[in-house]
Amino acid sequence: MNTFSSFYLIKKLPVHELLDPGLQGAINQGVVYGLSFGTRIDEDTCVALMPKGRLVLSLDKDSYELLGVEGKPSRFNHRTCSRFVVSVDLTDSSMAPGGRGHTRLLTGLRSHLQLQTDFLLSHHPEGGASLQPLLSRYDWSKHEPEVSCRHLTDLTCPDFRSCDCHSLLEWIGAVEADISCESSSSSFLSSFTCPEPNDVLSHALSVSICGLLLPHDVQRLIQELRCHLQQTQLESWASLTVHGFIDSPVSWGDNEHGVLSGGENFYNLLMFPDHTYHLHLATGAYDTCPP
Amino acid sequence: MTSVREKIGSSGFHRTVLKNGSPYCYMKVCLLDQETRLNAVELKSLIITGLKDLHGEVGAALPFDVLKFDEGSLTAVLRVCSGGLVKLWSSLTLQGYYQSQACAFRVLQVSRFNL
Repeated sequence: MNTFSSFYLIKKLPVHELLDPGLQGAINQGVVYGLSFGTRIDEDTCVALMPKGRLVLSLDKDSYELLGVEGKPSRFNHRTCSRFVVSVDLTDSSMAPGGRGHTRLLTGLRSHLQLQTDFLLSHHPEGGASLQPLLSRYDWSKHEPEVSCRHLTDLTCPDFRSCDCHSLLEWIGAVEADISCESSSSSFLSSFTCPEPNDVLSHALSVSICGLLLPHDVQRLIQELRCHLQQTQLESWASLTVHGFIDSPVSWGDNEHGVLSGGENFYNLLMFPDHTYHLHLATGAYDTCPP
Repeated sequence: MTSVREKIGSSGFHRTVLKNGSPYCYMKVCLLDQETRLNAVELKSLIITGLKDLHGEVGAALPFDVLKFDEGSLTAVLRVCSGGLVKLWSSLTLQGYYQSQACAFRVLQVSRFNL
């Protein structure tokens, strides 16, 4: 967990800087990840830089018209078309520096819209050098993912094999939020109880890691958890939940994401020592179904 | 409306897709009057009063749970059946008084999942 990649927060980054030729090499290699910070997907302009080199902009109507680049109406519009999504493949030949698409987008971002936003940026180890010229021009800070641990004792735990998915996710959320499962079903305050059948675990560990986390770090953590399960008792298990950002403009499969009422965008992987697993993927009702 | 699609693969892989299948909705709310001091039971009574004022006896009978309540920050996590979310949310929005003192609820987060 301490080897999770660090990430940068750049204050008021002009978005046209993401088209800088110096950054193009890292984008083409697929080692850079970026997301606008502190922007709300249903009100503000949100920007995402995907590792495959796709730049996604979620814009309100006025900003879209100022930008002057072709996009599509958002799937999350209500009665009127008030939001648009512009998705550009920066690895395409037309987006090479000097190309027609590149010039048009650069002009739109630099001169017409002048879009600036706080930006989270992360990279694979080999992409760090190409970010330095960009970082040197703006106010930035480096952050390590926040790791917090809680040791749990006498944890009432359901039988995962017989538990339905909603009850399971509810119980996992209750453990994470430190919600008691001890209340009786006739209690005035809450009827929430641990799903039946259940057992009491003497010890458990809950770990939370918060930040802009990279997929390969998560995959490495999964491998380590699987190795750990092989060495422990047969009744052991490990649950990993990964949340996407609520205000991210993209969700599963690079499809558009909206907040609706909750902005759910997560998956939970429940692993057992016999190499079986339960994988739960959740998203908003109008988002594209996870793969 | 809940729709369920199931697909079973030859290797024992089982995929189930549930749309709008969560039976509950979860709300994280905060009472915006830091001078007020109340416990979880009083909070639940306040919310029931709000439901009754707006939706009558039927609204007051809406079952919901106070999963967690922090008396210091006056922040609570509520659970309500999916069909009752609109009633509960609207009554929280329009709740303006507690014991003759002005107060307001702010809904911080709403989700169909407790995660």
